[in-house]
Amino acid sequence: MTAEEITTDTFEVFGTTAVLLVTSADAVVPARTIADRLLAAVDLACNRFRSDSELSRLNAADGEPLAISPTFADLLATALRAAKLTGGDVDPTCGRALSGLGYDRDFAEVRAAGSVPPRLTGPVGPVPGWRQVRLDHGARRVRLGGGAQLDLGATAKAWAADRCADQIAKSVRCGVMISLGGDVAVAGKPPPAGWQVRVTDDHAAPSWVAGQTVTISGGGLATSSTTVRTWELGSRAVHHIINPATGEPARSCWRTVSVAAGTCIDANAASTAAIIRSAAALDWLHDLGLPARLVRHDGTVETTAGWPQDDPGEAA
Amino acid sequence: MSEHDARAAAWDRDAGMAKITAITWRVGAAGVAVAGLLTVALGHHADASQASHGRNTIVIPAQPPQPAAGPGQVTSGAS
Repeated sequence: MTAEEITTDTFEVFGTTAVLLVTSADAVVPARTIADRLLAAVDLACNRFRSDSELSRLNAADGEPLAISPTFADLLATALRAAKLTGGDVDPTCGRALSGLGYDRDFAEVRAAGSVPPRLTGPVGPVPGWRQVRLDHGARRVRLGGGAQLDLGATAKAWAADRCADQIAKSVRCGVMISLGGDVAVAGKPPPAGWQVRVTDDHAAPSWVAGQTVTISGGGLATSSTTVRTWELGSRAVHHIINPATGEPARSCWRTVSVAAGTCIDANAASTAAIIRSAAALDWLHDLGLPARLVRHDGTVETTAGWPQDDPGEAA
Repeated sequence: MSEHDARAAAWDRDAGMAKITAITWRVGAAGVAVAGLLTVALGHHADASQASHGRNTIVIPAQPPQPAAGPGQVTSGAS
């Protein structure tokens, strides 16, 4: 397989950029078809800003049980697993906290509106917590307790990347790498040199912006950052990574964390949790054996579990 | 040795062999079961093709990222 046979397709989805690479030119059309179908199903299941999504119907159900689709059941199970494995750091019940901060519509509209007037009427407390999501995965029924409102932004995109890569590799029989807004999953036989991934603060940053390029051959790689999805709430800048313990945007010593894992969803859960855990994330990632690259606000970098050191000539 | 003693010795031998065979089967079956449990418990090095939402641990990659040069084929950053 030569590098020339790798074919790329770039498109917009979930309000961000998707990049699909396959190791055979013949594979790109069927691969895109699979991705489009799957991504449409994910959007219909859990887009918080679509009134016809299952997530919106569940949030509006006032605690009543709801029958749900297999896709939404899988997405919920994935979100609950991420919450459990991160000790509750990555919590899907932060929907009300995000809405209270002004993130209650598509992010492009939030940013276009400029400063959002504060709408919080009192102190923001802890989110209801993931245990308020009562999911019967087998029966495909769910109900929310404790006034919980869901947002699956921390897990759905990564889950979709894993699922797309897996289904494309199995159906089209090729090597595949897909990035959904910087959540990267690979499957199938990789190119001989592996897949090259640039890690930096913003998935849309040009290649000359500070960062690091690495190669992966399997699994997933994800990056979380407090520097990109930001907006003004009154006179203060806020971001979208919510600390469930406070219901407020996480205050972290890291501006950006990238993690490689066996799947993109696990990489993303770990990178998001690392932002929330702040300084304690280093030991946590080390103990888990997860390769990670953590960037402080001043640009200095820490790495764990075999993540390669930055080229001395490059800034973070 | 009388004919009776010879028969008794043969019977004891066959009974002993039967016990050894039974024990061997049990040990073998237990080994297969333990191997299966170990596979489930330790088989957490995975690639992206393996669904992970049923796993009870964060799955580490088969190998860590390797250093590379150039702009990369995709960019992993926040969106």
